Amino acid sequence: MMPSTATAPSTEVSSPPTRRRRSRGNRVAAVLLILMALLMLAPFVWTALSVTKPTDVAFANPPVLSGYTPTLEAFKNLWETTYFAQYLVNTAVVALISTVVALVLGVPAAYALSRFPGYVSAILLLLALVFRSLPRFSVVLPMYDISRALGIYDTNFALAAALVAINQPFSIWLLRNFFAEIPKELDEAAMIDGCTRFGTLRRIMIPLMRPGILTAGVFVFLFAFQEYLTALVLTDTASKTVPVFITTQLGQTLPMLQQAGAAAMLLTLPVIAIAFIAQKYLVAGLSDGSVKG
Amino acid sequence: MRRREFAVLIGPSLLVMVGLLVLPLVRTIQWSFQEVTYGQVGTFVGLSNYSQALTDPRFGRAVFFTLLLTIVVTSIILVIGYLIAVGVNGLGALRPYILGSMLVAYVLPGVVGAVSFSWLFDSNFGGVLNLAIERLTGREFLWFTDTWPNRAMIIAHTVWHLLPFSVLMILAGLQGVPKELREAATIDGASAWKMHLYVIIPTMRGIIGFVCLITIMDVLRTFDSLIPLSPQADAIGNESIMYYVFDNAFRDGSQQLGLGSAVNVLSILLILICLFPFIRDLLKEAKTKA
Amino acid sequence: MRYRTYLRTGLTTLVIAATLSGVTACGAGSRTGAADATAVECDYTMPEAETTVNVLAYNSSAIDPFTNTMVKSCTRENVTLKHDPIDFSGQVTKTTATLSGDTGSYDIIETYGFAVPEIASAGSIIALDDYVAEYEEKYKLDALNEGMRSALSYDGKLYALPMQAQMYVMAYRADVFEDLGLTPPKTFDDMIEAAKTIREQGDIEYPIALPMNATADVSTIYQAAMNSTGTDFLDAGEPQFDSEGSRQALEGLQSLLPYMDPQVTTFDQPKVQQQMYNGTAAMAIMFSGRMNDLTLDTNSKLAADFAFAAPPSIDSDAPYLFSRLSVDGWAIPENTQLDKDMLFQMIASSVSEDASRASVPAAYPAREGIVTDESSKYAVAANETTAGTMPAPNDPASAPVTNAIRPVLVQVLTGQLDIEAGMQDMQRLAEETVAGN
Repeated sequence: MMPSTATAPSTEVSSPPTRRRRSRGNRVAAVLLILMALLMLAPFVWTALSVTKPTDVAFANPPVLSGYTPTLEAFKNLWETTYFAQYLVNTAVVALISTVVALVLGVPAAYALSRFPGYVSAILLLLALVFRSLPRFSVVLPMYDISRALGIYDTNFALAAALVAINQPFSIWLLRNFFAEIPKELDEAAMIDGCTRFGTLRRIMIPLMRPGILTAGVFVFLFAFQEYLTALVLTDTASKTVPVFITTQLGQTLPMLQQAGAAAMLLTLPVIAIAFIAQKYLVAGLSDGSVKG
Repeated sequence: MRRREFAVLIGPSLLVMVGLLVLPLVRTIQWSFQEVTYGQVGTFVGLSNYSQALTDPRFGRAVFFTLLLTIVVTSIILVIGYLIAVGVNGLGALRPYILGSMLVAYVLPGVVGAVSFSWLFDSNFGGVLNLAIERLTGREFLWFTDTWPNRAMIIAHTVWHLLPFSVLMILAGLQGVPKELREAATIDGASAWKMHLYVIIPTMRGIIGFVCLITIMDVLRTFDSLIPLSPQADAIGNESIMYYVFDNAFRDGSQQLGLGSAVNVLSILLILICLFPFIRDLLKEAKTKA
Repeated sequence: MRYRTYLRTGLTTLVIAATLSGVTACGAGSRTGAADATAVECDYTMPEAETTVNVLAYNSSAIDPFTNTMVKSCTRENVTLKHDPIDFSGQVTKTTATLSGDTGSYDIIETYGFAVPEIASAGSIIALDDYVAEYEEKYKLDALNEGMRSALSYDGKLYALPMQAQMYVMAYRADVFEDLGLTPPKTFDDMIEAAKTIREQGDIEYPIALPMNATADVSTIYQAAMNSTGTDFLDAGEPQFDSEGSRQALEGLQSLLPYMDPQVTTFDQPKVQQQMYNGTAAMAIMFSGRMNDLTLDTNSKLAADFAFAAPPSIDSDAPYLFSRLSVDGWAIPENTQLDKDMLFQMIASSVSEDASRASVPAAYPAREGIVTDESSKYAVAANETTAGTMPAPNDPASAPVTNAIRPVLVQVLTGQLDIEAGMQDMQRLAEETVAGN
């Protein structure tokens, strides 16, 4: 496209003075990025500190930064005096189920959208976009009313179903772009070899798409894991999730506040582990597909 | 692909979306013309919910604030997100750590992150960042009751929460840019800026447009973060549209479901207007492909 | 490359699996909150089917003892009582949700005098008089304070069984007051004088702390100030927001503002406690249920320095103290599917003599003869307040009217609206609400 601009600077790269300047620039950039990352971590770190301080100095003003014995009392209380374990299981179960179902429904749909040309696909994709942008309340409040009428209010099932629907547009959109990257010739070759359309999807496309599906899965799982509003409205006691539980612990006594902080830590740590492990993978998966979106 | 195959493949997903998104939406539209509470059959009241919302100055303030927040946050996220992505792209061994720690903000549940964030500014809970800012500027800011400091805090929080997603996306986009182009652009100086502005960004138009779109959608529905960050949002003009709905249709046992639904419908219209340029592009693209 | 991908995926799965198995292995919470609670007799007829009784009650130091006693004492054999932690505003939301419709999530709900008329008149909770008559002797229900019973009654019938009352109590820093030769203030003017002295000599910039968060907190504060002058929000159903008492209340509260943290309109009761814990305020007024927290040295290094007194009056002519009496009790939803006789016996046992005794010092039980001046550090103050609080009967319109006027009230207190205009606005909104109710 623009060969002259593209090649001219690239010869400059090798010249010594520029390289030195560049490495200094890189170092400055690295320091700035580290500062940025620390700033981004600040709320998390501050909460972690408050949770592990003895209650009487946990939220002192001015803050107490040293001279105390760290304690895990808040975690112990959380474990022993609340149904935290049950909430965590609820959250994980709902997130896992809704992720699996969202993918089982979304992968074929996205494949179809990527292979079926014309207006129908475009309009369906557009609809997905509009669905993605709907104010959560406009679907969740009727869901509340309907789920009560159907007698499924406050069940993991209702919450998982709602999350599948709410996350469906995003997963379809993301997956469609992954499929669009795979040349159509591959399908044709497979079908000439005697595969049916569904066989092609199952035997050729899905194995090829593994990184893309995993990327979409991670996103859908994260959405479901941290979803607050839908869970707040659709759950009560039996299927309460951790984010809802945490907010009900706020605004009460200090030990409960610390427990809320501890719950936030426990909810986030496994997800952070996933994030650290998966980030490289996510970037790779995303750059395979969504870029041309 | 045959029409029948298409229908079978897309059917289940479509069915779920129609059943669980379209039907509730229809109910919302119905409610918006009714006076109604949960579990009851409403009475038709025509457009009165709409006129009530549109003449309520509080709703006007909520729309203004939500749009302001959307514009500011989206611009900040695009600029900073791009800069960070470029920086991270040039990193070596440090990269996973920087990226991993940034993702923490994204994976904390929104309302929990907002509570943690509010503690940094609330002197009743230590307020370590508030203290640092006071020491640096020598001024005292009323983060929770003064309109502009509160806005600054809400903007900072929203950027904090949404930035990692856009960095991830833009980074992914950068990796799709041919290597020579990228290397050329890592050199400092005027030529690098030009390189980014005229070569790299145009090749990444798709992904930047997408980040923009998702950010706009997410900021437009800001709601739960305001509970800890702006306890008297309405009184200082920092209430978002969704918070207004929550306050009227759910919170403290309030059951003005009709009004809440009317506001929902109005905000869907508003969102569609905001998204119009993207929708037009998508349709144009489909036309050229067809 | 392949291999590393598998490794990473495997690791992720391991982390998730470990977390989940950790969760299930350690078992669902053993509920020491309830485990440490007092066991009392809870002698209902055992149902044949497995039964779960869901209890809705917000958590606070004063409510918890009753809830925990009930959960512990009544859970046995086929019956499990389940109580999830929830905050006050969550309880309000859940109450409306569970009471609307044919079935609800909860079988026993905590409620309070302010809310009873609205839900009782809607027929959402049942009248308890027949059960009281039947079980009066078994659970010694006649010892429940008469006034508190009437606070939870509507139209001559009892709709909730009183467990405890909360009234405003003033907590102050005894060390600071003593150093500066101050005594607990009797009027708002005294309070301002004391605040000035403390600000100048005691090194505390904002000595007064009140919960004035723009929710139920701020309207309760306003109502307490109005009550001190002998007026209430509604007089026989008529709004009183343009009355002299309303003006006095608003002026009185505004006069305190310069001595309170500038962000006071975002402070709920825990934040007021926080100001006391941190030593950023020297006197605080809030509900007695929050006072026991202040006496615990695990919460603050200053715990030993806090002393308690009855709140002041708005001025020396005022007939009552700056206080509200809020009575908490247990109610049974109309739409519960469970045996209401069984549910009644559960709530009756939670307010029994042993249970009430065990709730002291955190609570001020409704049962007579339990709270003596020695019961807790704030018992004297609480008894004195109870005697000086205006008896204010609740009205079905109280709750909706309060919701309607709140935004205007916040505007007046933050100075965006002057008092006169605010009073007219509130009066108009209240009249509209009463007419529409």
